[in-house]
Amino acid sequence: MKHLQLGEFEEIVLLTVGVLHGNAYGVTIKDEIEQRLGREVTIGALQITLRRLESKGFLKSTPGDSTESRRGRPKLFFEITAYGKKALDYCKESRDELWKALPKLVLNLK
Amino acid sequence: MKSAEPPRFILRFLQWFCKPEYHADIEGDLLELYDRRVADQGKFKANLRLSKDVLLLFRPGIIRSAKIHQPITSNGMIKNYFIMGWRNLRKNKLYTTINVLGLTFGMVCFLLIGLYVYEELNFDTQHTQGERIYRVIMHQKSPSQEATTVAAAGYMVAEEPRHSFPEVEQTTRMQRVGRANLVDPQNPVNVQETMTIADEYFLQVFDFPFIEGDRRSALKEPNTIVITEDLAMRIFGRTDVIDKNLQFDRMQKPLKITGILKNHPQNSSFNFTSVMSESTFTDEQSKREAEIDWTSANFTVYALLRAGANPDSVSGKITHLTHTNVQLEPGTTLSYSLQPLKDVHLKSDGITDGGKNSNVDPIPQGNPVYVTVFLFTAILVLLIAGINYSNLTTARASSRLKEIGVRKVIGAVRSNLIGQFLVESLITTVIAFGVAVLIVAILLPSFNEFVNKKFSLFSSVGLGFWAAAAGLILAMVLLSGGYAALLLSRFKPVSLLKGLALKSGSDFSVRKALVVLQFTISTVMIIGTIVLFRQVRFLNESNLGFNKDLMVVIDVNVIKARSNFDWVKNEMSKIPAVEQVSVSSHVPGEWKTLVRVKLKKEGGGDQLRTAYVIGADKDFLTTYGIELLKGRNFRNANDTSAILINEAAAKILGITQISNEGVEIPQSARGSFFNPIYDDINASFKPRVVGIVKDFHFQSLRAKIEPLVIAYHDNPIYPIDYYSVKIQPQNIQTTLEKLKAVMVANDEREPFEYHFLDEQLARFYIEDQRSQTILGWVALASVVIACLGLFGLATYSAEQRLKEIGVRKVLGANLVSIMALLSKDFVKLVLIACCFAFPIAWFGANWWLQDYAYHINVEWWIFALAGVIATGIALLTVSYQAIKAAMVTPVKTLKSQ
Repeated sequence: MKHLQLGEFEEIVLLTVGVLHGNAYGVTIKDEIEQRLGREVTIGALQITLRRLESKGFLKSTPGDSTESRRGRPKLFFEITAYGKKALDYCKESRDELWKALPKLVLNLK
Repeated sequence: MKSAEPPRFILRFLQWFCKPEYHADIEGDLLELYDRRVADQGKFKANLRLSKDVLLLFRPGIIRSAKIHQPITSNGMIKNYFIMGWRNLRKNKLYTTINVLGLTFGMVCFLLIGLYVYEELNFDTQHTQGERIYRVIMHQKSPSQEATTVAAAGYMVAEEPRHSFPEVEQTTRMQRVGRANLVDPQNPVNVQETMTIADEYFLQVFDFPFIEGDRRSALKEPNTIVITEDLAMRIFGRTDVIDKNLQFDRMQKPLKITGILKNHPQNSSFNFTSVMSESTFTDEQSKREAEIDWTSANFTVYALLRAGANPDSVSGKITHLTHTNVQLEPGTTLSYSLQPLKDVHLKSDGITDGGKNSNVDPIPQGNPVYVTVFLFTAILVLLIAGINYSNLTTARASSRLKEIGVRKVIGAVRSNLIGQFLVESLITTVIAFGVAVLIVAILLPSFNEFVNKKFSLFSSVGLGFWAAAAGLILAMVLLSGGYAALLLSRFKPVSLLKGLALKSGSDFSVRKALVVLQFTISTVMIIGTIVLFRQVRFLNESNLGFNKDLMVVIDVNVIKARSNFDWVKNEMSKIPAVEQVSVSSHVPGEWKTLVRVKLKKEGGGDQLRTAYVIGADKDFLTTYGIELLKGRNFRNANDTSAILINEAAAKILGITQISNEGVEIPQSARGSFFNPIYDDINASFKPRVVGIVKDFHFQSLRAKIEPLVIAYHDNPIYPIDYYSVKIQPQNIQTTLEKLKAVMVANDEREPFEYHFLDEQLARFYIEDQRSQTILGWVALASVVIACLGLFGLATYSAEQRLKEIGVRKVLGANLVSIMALLSKDFVKLVLIACCFAFPIAWFGANWWLQDYAYHINVEWWIFALAGVIATGIALLTVSYQAIKAAMVTPVKTLKSQ
């Protein structure tokens, strides 16, 4: 199951692409993460993660139309693949497992 | 609304490092963000953030790998470059011809001048220890503040350091004591040779290659001599003459030949034909004299230092050593320096050649000014040719845009295209180089004759020269082809294929600047040639104050020619074609060093003045046509203590009227130092001034007319050495035969050496004459090359503007206006070039003319003429194309669209 493992930022990016469903490209993903999670995302970190996820097969990309605001540069839309979905599931499940195993006592600790 | 533009270099940077497949959308994202940030935060912050983003993108996952865009470097591709290059060159025959021609001209000039300069710069490099050999130079200042710098030193300066200084590995002495007849006692034919004497270490310090004989022992024994191959051939007709005898006619004993040397290469400062051992001349008396000789200038001393020794500290030690051994006259300073052997040829300005009798020619010196000028002109001509190539190629870029576009679309990357263009330029350059070498090979014999050298393409210069030449050619390929390659491969394929006009404003101004540069160089060279030409003509034609034409000067080489001169003169005057005969110690012109004396007016204070001396008989003035201003000429044998002086001498002595003023001459110079005339130090030669002659140029026109004393031929300073015979212009050969008959009748050993005075005087300026001719040709070549380039550009611009011309003609433009339209741009460039060239040439010409005490003025018309020549030639070149373009019927050019 090792190949389904995701890093923290990878997971966030993958989830965000899902959230944006159909409108996920560089800028929107960045905005979304920044808004929802309140953390700064650099294009560099984002792009490299997107490409890595794509090369692992969790994402697929389709070039979109170019618009005036981008001076003719195309958008690259990302979508979660089935495999990506599976990775997310695996991720969630493994976290849940751990959560269940966590003794209540620990959670009450301050 | 026009949005703010992000800084382009940042996006360029991104484009450069980013994987191409990622690039477009990443850039899109960045731009979208950028626009938003500009609106929110202002341009400055947006730029900052953009830079930060791009910098953070510079990370392994995004950076393209170096390999992805390297095409497979297969032989196929390189072969393809050559095929395509060749096809392209063949397709555009006109431009190819222009390019090859221009480059060829440039290279021919470069190679020929290069051969000359290379040799001048590599003088005396044939000795294996050459790097460590130094010539001892003596600097002396007398109490009257007269400074002399002479390449000579005393006997002990060579003897002592050899033993006492650890840095000195070896020293050697050489002397050139005079000229005498050298004969083979078994077959006496007189050959006049310089007598050179050297100690036994001479052949060990320098490695003159031996044909036969032993280097270590050749000059050890008394009465031995080493001769060169050439001399052996002249005397014996063969070179296997070791152990045979030779004899100088002044010497008692014959000399045994102990070694045969190869002839000196032409880049050697040594020109002796024979060397005698020093021990031949050593006896008790001379030994005693030598042991106290520290400060004479009788020897040329060379020191071979050990590796790593500092020549300055060694020369300091020699100075110190001399001062501890000799008590100098108060007020005199004396010091030594060491001159590297390789500097002897070009960097001996201001150093008198010493260690020789005044009748021995000084060693030939190179002229560093001309060497530098030549080196620069050679490089500049090559530069002009390179610029041509670059200009033509970039100018024609637009006709190749489609080709470049298609190549790019098919998948050529920039490096492919650069390779392609470089290969094209390589082919052109190599063709040009081949043709140039061929032309040089053809021209070389006449060039050799002209510069009086024996160059051959492959043997006279080493591999170094060819390596340098090849390196230069390669540099040329890179420079001239490189600019075009970089420029042409830059364009975007889409704009190329769409047929968009090139945004080439900047390229065109580069091209213009290059044309201006070419014509600046050419114009400077034209002006330089005119100035040189006029100066040389001025030198050869100016009135020297005496008659130099049809004057035969015969050397006195045997004693009887001197003692019996009255009879000889008398016999010579009987020859009908002889007008006048005179004998004198020296004649004007470049042969041997004129003797100088110290003199003062009797009772006129203590200040000693320096003047040159010529000893002459009573016919000297009439033979040479020298004007007597005041007083009288010599009359008869009672005039031994009468002298004539020239105006300059009269001025320094303060003599205005002739009233038999007495003059004291206590010292005269033999070699470079003044010695008392008589053995008694306090005695002076005390002649009376009987006449003043008009100043005449007895030296080169480089020097001002110096004070001159004409003493009677029978004087204590210098004996007669020349007959000057003024002859009639008819049957010169017969006259010479008759003169020889007289001389031989006087003494059968007479070798009859003669010269024509005007030729001898021209030798002063031979270097200038040569330079003038070389510079003239180079200037011509540079103009031709620059014009070839201009022709190419004009052809191209006319082709480009065919439609425009058609429309203009339809609307009523006439031939002249169209010609003006096409020529205007180019002529403007040439005029701008003139503006740059004139000041440069003006400074250059004046600087060079400073060298001559008598010189032409750099007049305005020279510049005007050069300007007119440059503009005229440029106009002619351009107007051919302009006329051709203007004559075309408009229908032809307009119907196709």
